[in-house]
Amino acid sequence: MIINGVTIDETFAEAFPMKATRLIITAHDAKWAMISAQAFTGFATSVIACGCEAGIERELDGSETPDGRPGVAVLIFAMGGKGLAKQVETRAGQCVLTSPTSALFSGLDGEKDMPLGQNLRYFGDGFQISKMIDGKRYWRIPVMDGEFLTQEKTGVTAAVGGGNFLVLAESQGQALAACEAAIEEMRKTPNVIMPFPGGVVRSGSKVGSKYKALNASTNDAFCPTLKGQTKSELPPECESVMEIVIDGLTKEDIDKAMKVGIQAVCDLGAAQGIRRISAGNYGGKLGPFHFHLQEIMA
Amino acid sequence: MSNLTFTLKAAPKQRIDCGSLTPDNLADKSSAEIAAIELVTGNTSARVDALFTITEGDSQSITFANSDQKLDFVGRNMTFGNILVEGDIGAYLGIFMEGGEIAVEGNTDIYTACEMAGGQIKVNGNAGDFVGGARPGRRNGMTGGTVIVTGNTGARTGDHMRRGMILIEGNAGEYCGSRMISGTIAVLGDCGAHLGYAMKRGTILLSQMPSRGIAANFNDCGSHTLAFLPLMFASFKKLDSQFANVDSFSRVQRYAGDLAGIGMGEILVKI
Repeated sequence: MIINGVTIDETFAEAFPMKATRLIITAHDAKWAMISAQAFTGFATSVIACGCEAGIERELDGSETPDGRPGVAVLIFAMGGKGLAKQVETRAGQCVLTSPTSALFSGLDGEKDMPLGQNLRYFGDGFQISKMIDGKRYWRIPVMDGEFLTQEKTGVTAAVGGGNFLVLAESQGQALAACEAAIEEMRKTPNVIMPFPGGVVRSGSKVGSKYKALNASTNDAFCPTLKGQTKSELPPECESVMEIVIDGLTKEDIDKAMKVGIQAVCDLGAAQGIRRISAGNYGGKLGPFHFHLQEIMA
Repeated sequence: MSNLTFTLKAAPKQRIDCGSLTPDNLADKSSAEIAAIELVTGNTSARVDALFTITEGDSQSITFANSDQKLDFVGRNMTFGNILVEGDIGAYLGIFMEGGEIAVEGNTDIYTACEMAGGQIKVNGNAGDFVGGARPGRRNGMTGGTVIVTGNTGARTGDHMRRGMILIEGNAGEYCGSRMISGTIAVLGDCGAHLGYAMKRGTILLSQMPSRGIAANFNDCGSHTLAFLPLMFASFKKLDSQFANVDSFSRVQRYAGDLAGIGMGEILVKI
């Protein structure tokens, strides 16, 4: 399959099941809501070492938030419910509770609940106040700028992590420009995040390493400087590869995000130095979710 | 299908325990079985059809017509359905209620919503003393649900209240929120003396400073913008109440007390 001169490989991205929740962070204004959300989603690019993958889904205006203030919706994914609960609690406690004027709400009614402010309330040292509103419990925790309001629980849902595609370009600049175009379009898709810096990862990994202590290492088959040293997947004219990783609440959400992302890359086309779109998989052994590039773009 | 209607034949001389006439209890009963239910009245009992004219209908929606203040325990232990009271009603309306709705087109006697756990009671009139309270000797009053009173409430509203919400469109009597453990009481009108007496926790939300002021055993914590109030007002919007039309506010003067006890309760007054 070739779109605008860009070859779409006959391959698939391989993704795996995760647990996820959506949180809504509000603040006095959009600026402080975003600061809080950025802190919450920091150091959350990959479960390999961060314990979770998190990102900003979109900004919300006052009409879309529980307390009528500007807010940000964030999605956070982890390999299991317990790990997710731990990450949510520590990040909410250190990054949202601490952020001026913030409030924290559940943005998802999942199959199960997990604690959100349930344990954070103890920061109130006995002065915390519970309020049941419309069947949901909230905690009012006195803090130095007033009160931190948080919902007691948030929903947890089964989700999908690790959707991806690779952009193979003639130069580093062209690969980056293509990925930026893709990310801009993909961020319009609900229920997904691209957790890496700016949505783009330049150090895609393969499973395993020659070093026993590591369970992942550089994806040498797609490293352009190793074309003559390893079993390379790259054509001679390809000088740079960048990857976009997508986590979504459902497989269909990732399908949509991949489609608009790949389309945005292809719109730049061969004329802008884009050669191929490929994807990372592990022979179908890693995860049950397979995203076949040509089927998505058909 | 129309409501199953119990029309009181004559003003009773003795109080009548109507606690068994709920959607839960009548769900699987035939008309004859309903008519034969014995209700305790005074120191004796009487069949339902001796006291009421029964109009057959849907037992999930019950009407008490020509009601009287001597009909007690209406809606006891109710978990679903609706009860409409046409006229005044007696004590212990909605005691132990867990779900469903009760609407009263008149006044209620003492202990409305006593130890209520869920559902909604709306009194389109005045309610007596101890709305949402605990029975004498008991330590937990209302533990859930919503009570709306369009008129005034008597003394000790929310006595020992533990959870839930009491919304008073008129005035609250003296000792409102006494011994309150948690939950929310909101009052659009005035409040009587000794507001929040022995209050442990919980919130009394007032749209105006009470004419008698705030008791000395509550300390002024200053004026604040509280983020939970817009959420609470938003939850009122679905209610058939003046509270649905109240302009949301989040700026309040906060008073903490009762400082003669643990002092973790609060009175919030709109500013």
